[in-house]
Amino acid sequence: MSESQNGNRFPFYGPQGRLILVDSALEAVSRGSTTIGIKTPNFAMIASQIKPTHPLMEPSEKIFPIDFHIGATGAGYIGDILQLIDTLRLESQKHRLTYETPIDVDSLAKHLSSFLHNYTTYAVRPQAASVIIVGEDQTGIQLYQVDPSGTFFRGSGFAIGQASETALDVITKGYSKDMNLDQAVELGRKAIEKALGEKPIVETGIVEPGKAFRKIRTDNA
Amino acid sequence: MTTIVGIKTKDGVVLGSDKRASKGFFIGSKIVQKIATIDDTLAVAIAGQLSDAEYIIKVAKAERRLMELRRGFPLSIREATRLIANIAYSGLRNYQPYYVELLVAGVDREGAHVFAADMSGAITEEDFASSGSGSPIAYGVLESLYNKDITNSQASEIASRAVSAAMERDPGSGNGINILAIQNLQKEAVA
Repeated sequence: MSESQNGNRFPFYGPQGRLILVDSALEAVSRGSTTIGIKTPNFAMIASQIKPTHPLMEPSEKIFPIDFHIGATGAGYIGDILQLIDTLRLESQKHRLTYETPIDVDSLAKHLSSFLHNYTTYAVRPQAASVIIVGEDQTGIQLYQVDPSGTFFRGSGFAIGQASETALDVITKGYSKDMNLDQAVELGRKAIEKALGEKPIVETGIVEPGKAFRKIRTDNA
Repeated sequence: MTTIVGIKTKDGVVLGSDKRASKGFFIGSKIVQKIATIDDTLAVAIAGQLSDAEYIIKVAKAERRLMELRRGFPLSIREATRLIANIAYSGLRNYQPYYVELLVAGVDREGAHVFAADMSGAITEEDFASSGSGSPIAYGVLESLYNKDITNSQASEIASRAVSAAMERDPGSGNGINILAIQNLQKEAVA
């Protein structure tokens, strides 16, 4: 009681009833590198900006293969992203051990969601990373976004990170169900470029039916 | 003791069993149901320790329901069989094996499947399979009558003949036959 009287309660809910630690994590994500995901019935792609570093340093990897048929990317603190990526990889392999089949993307997104949700219920630091997952399963091509709160979304176009509203706007306007892979990759690149206001270095990952998840690098074209 | 058979057909799967439960040289029950339906598309025929089998099936049933609710579509027959085999294998590794030999049969989006799963945790997919003390006799009938083009009703007849042949000569099997047939899923019309 004494804690609440001096307005210095345990750091979960702010005065507006928002989870301030989660809000801070989302804020950190929105400062991360611009990252997008696009899905059509025939393929899905993810792309993330690689932040320029000095000439002698190799930039960090931003597109991650999770399993044969699934890939993911993220925005936020790279350390947190890597931790979440490993969680996804572990869960995929656990599914293969238990059921002898590749995991479906929905189960994977839900697992990540509950993993992240855990960090919102204890006095720990929520993970400052949003993750976009793409993959193919029995229900078709899938695209998910999972946020630090544990909230997850399924859809055809997402953008997270720096100036994500701008990027999402470009994707929403340029999206068509019938576009081909090259058009989608170009749309993704354009979205990131518009968001940043400069030619970005982008790493791209692609999922197509029956094929392994694969990465391509579109350098400063 | 027991005779169970499982047959894959062109329109589904068929399971057959006898109804005898043996307690040594004594017939413990004459009306045992050895075919357990897990749901409309999956069933398991049991040979071995009934209590162990019941437990494994109960767990598999719960896991299968949970998985279907969580991901929105059911486990395939192979997935369900692997799940059951994993339970069996964990028992083996803990020096407390589940004394069972199961025939897991059902239909999924890929079609009909018959799997044999035992206490070692191994699974094999078969066109037809038999298990239990009467299985060598049942196999004789199955080997001579089975072909890949049979229907569920023909397979029900073959299963019934295989089990009754076993019941004639195997003292561990008898007291009547149970048959269960599962039809393939209707192919969704392609729009």
